[in-house]
Amino acid sequence: MTLGLKGRGLATALFLLVTALPLAAHVGSPDVYYEGSAGPYRLFVTVVVPQVIPGVAEIQVRAESADVRSIQIVPMRLTGPGSNFPPTPDQAQVSKDDPQFFTGSLWLMESGALQVRVMADGAKGKGELSVPVASFAQRSLPMPKPLAGLLVGFMLLLAVGGISIAGAGAREGNLESGKTPGPANLRRARIVMAVTAVLVVGLLLLSKSWWGIEDTNYQQRVNFYKPPLALTTLENGNRLVIRAQGQDPAWSKRVNMGGVLPDHNHLMHLFLISLPGMDHLWHLHPERLEGGAFADDLPSMPAGKYQVFADIVDERGFPWTLVGTVDLPEINGKPMTGDDSSWSGAPLQPSQPGSNSSPLPDGGRIVWERASGPLKANEAMDFKFTVQDKDGKPVPDLEPYMGMAGHAEFVRSDFTVFAHVHPSGSAPMASLQLAQAGLTGDSSAMVMSPMSGMAMSGPMAMAGSAPSGPLAPVVGFPYGFPQPGDYRIFVQVKRAGQVETGVFDAHVEPAPATPSK
Amino acid sequence: MANSMPIAHPLNVRIADRASVGTMSIPWYIWICMFSVVSAVVGTAWDISWHESIGRDSFWTPAHMFIYLSGVLAGLSCGYLILATTFQKDSPLRDVSISMWGFRGPLGAFICAWGAVGMIAAGPFDNWWHNSYGLDVKILSPPHVLLALGMTGIRFGTLVMVLAAMNRAQGAYRLKLERVLYFAVAFVMGMTVGIIQELTNRVFMHGSTFYMVMMFAAPVVIAMVAWVSDDRWAATIMTAIFTAVELAFVWILPLFPAETKLGPVYQHITHLVPPNFPMLLIVPAIVFDLLRRRTGTWSRWAQATTLGAAFLVSFIAAQWPFADFLMSPGSRNAFFVTNNYPYAVPPTSPWVLNQFVPTEHSFAQFWVRMAIALFAAIVMTRIGMAWGEWMRRIQR
Repeated sequence: MTLGLKGRGLATALFLLVTALPLAAHVGSPDVYYEGSAGPYRLFVTVVVPQVIPGVAEIQVRAESADVRSIQIVPMRLTGPGSNFPPTPDQAQVSKDDPQFFTGSLWLMESGALQVRVMADGAKGKGELSVPVASFAQRSLPMPKPLAGLLVGFMLLLAVGGISIAGAGAREGNLESGKTPGPANLRRARIVMAVTAVLVVGLLLLSKSWWGIEDTNYQQRVNFYKPPLALTTLENGNRLVIRAQGQDPAWSKRVNMGGVLPDHNHLMHLFLISLPGMDHLWHLHPERLEGGAFADDLPSMPAGKYQVFADIVDERGFPWTLVGTVDLPEINGKPMTGDDSSWSGAPLQPSQPGSNSSPLPDGGRIVWERASGPLKANEAMDFKFTVQDKDGKPVPDLEPYMGMAGHAEFVRSDFTVFAHVHPSGSAPMASLQLAQAGLTGDSSAMVMSPMSGMAMSGPMAMAGSAPSGPLAPVVGFPYGFPQPGDYRIFVQVKRAGQVETGVFDAHVEPAPATPSK
Repeated sequence: MANSMPIAHPLNVRIADRASVGTMSIPWYIWICMFSVVSAVVGTAWDISWHESIGRDSFWTPAHMFIYLSGVLAGLSCGYLILATTFQKDSPLRDVSISMWGFRGPLGAFICAWGAVGMIAAGPFDNWWHNSYGLDVKILSPPHVLLALGMTGIRFGTLVMVLAAMNRAQGAYRLKLERVLYFAVAFVMGMTVGIIQELTNRVFMHGSTFYMVMMFAAPVVIAMVAWVSDDRWAATIMTAIFTAVELAFVWILPLFPAETKLGPVYQHITHLVPPNFPMLLIVPAIVFDLLRRRTGTWSRWAQATTLGAAFLVSFIAAQWPFADFLMSPGSRNAFFVTNNYPYAVPPTSPWVLNQFVPTEHSFAQFWVRMAIALFAAIVMTRIGMAWGEWMRRIQR
């Protein structure tokens, strides 16, 4: 279902992105989509993050009910100093066309794990929720040619003007009233102009060098937040060892792999997807080794080349996805246990309209409750999936899979986009837990298990589901495709102790009237 | 040639300045340029405080308006002055103007116009810089330096205009212009000392880097004013004005309520954050004036060496213990305002913890930088003297 979150707000937010290039960061999907409860109000929040930091994030809030009168938004650090004093909140503006849709802009002043607090006020009183936001510089803006021309013109005017003024001052500045410069004045003027010219050129060279240093520093920050490389080795025939290597040398010093937080019970979520057609998927959970590496005994797998995505959350609540590829021989591994899961099927057919129904091994199926019309990039949507039994009836026995109603992975055909999304949205559970922990009172409907990072109700399950009983058969994922192209969506739910995976292919068209990122 | 105490320049008695002597009043363009300079001074102090207190801004903040008003005023008034001098054949400034690219006008007007162009160029450059590298949270960035160069151009141009009129004048009118000169020079020092303010926080005042950068920024202006003015207390008067302007911002800005509109917030803000309490430059300025009289007959380099060294030593003698005081609870009040921090300063910062930050790695490095500070004090004093002597000769 399209929520209609595109529009002038997004257009405003994207004014910086005109010349932006697709970028494989987190991975290629930096905007945050969140669905949750602010006290009595159900809200769908989209945070369109800026591409440069400090920069302006665009916040869009859709209230499910009509009784929300006002929305306030404020950015803070997720943890540590800076998470205590919020700045003055901003009033989000209500849409003239849609009284349940609010938009606002927030400055994100630093890179790292931040949060956006959303305070709702309305007929049922006040409520508050917090959305974790991974804030990081993604790129720098190339200078448009007309501006470059204008600035070069100014530079030449100032340089030549400065030399001329120095010369004129030396030639005539000391002359008494009415006198004209003599040969000595003219000679002095020439010397002064030559010296000034040398100084001006020196100043310009110095400035160029300084600019270069500033640019290099900025690029280092951009590289720091690029997805780290997943370096893999295969030991003993089936043991895959994964080490993270940041794209900036400072990464390994500042991100402590020993301190990563458990994200719904697991320190790492490893996805192995067969290249190039995505006809196999493994969702595994490696254990941490001494020294910060991770390892997992692989299940049986066919030989082939696999794309590696490995999700972790660092101790500050910042999510990282390690990215790499691995060539594997045929693996004769152990049977899968616990929360590990897999899927095999037909490869992705680019530009083909995919089916809205994905069969399950038990004869049932998962149906994508998709609105008619093409899918557009940069549109916040609620992806709803119904799990049906072999008779086509909604199943009564859906159970939490790693603490929530379902998991979805959105992967672009060229692997430049990978997003691991939950019913609460695109932020990892570990970050969400840190964000919710900072809220005062019990305005959040989330009930957290402090040790596991699991959410047992509220946004984790669909509305109306109870923490302990079976879940509703409909699972929703708030998300938006960051760029046009062909995507494969893996939807994973659990029934009767078995993880079941439905797969859907989607062709996404460019966003109308707004540039794609 | 042995140098002597500055006296009225012989040229002054020969001048025939139809533009000013006749009326004995300060010409309009000097007032407008001085107003332009004050506008930039107020705008800059307000803008820095705005960024430290409120955080978020737009093009249309009053602080920005003051800064841009400065460029517009200087650009328009000096542009008009140049055009009027060029095209009005009976312009009173024609005989006391310089020529450049076919235009005529006072030298200071050309410099001011150059500064206005620099400020205008800094606008789109800074906007692009923010879009490309994010909103800067520091003062020193290439577009800000261009803006500062533009502002410096306007201040320097105004100073040259005042000087040219002053050097052509005599008697009461000259004294009147000299009073304007002190303000003009004080604002120039506001520029040289202001641009390095990130290095002159109190946490650095027990390190050699602080004294080193200060010796590059202050003695040159103090020596200049001492050499350009006839008053035996010129350096003291100018430094007192400079300090008074700084104190005005220290005491006035906190009177305005403010709340932070950017996160993360580390300090709770209720009013505009004032600048740091001014440095005790008045002490070396007094020492400078006293010694200047006693060394009047020495060679210039001997004088520069003595005055520069005395400047450094007296500044250290005053500022080093004063820094201890600024770190102490006794200074955390509305007078010394050391309990005011920008919202973005973490509570773990040495600034908040009142701890000195060592800026050098070793004892040897400390003394090497102190030696550089001494060298800078002497050379910059000498440059300031030469600058002042040159300025005394400006006629146009």
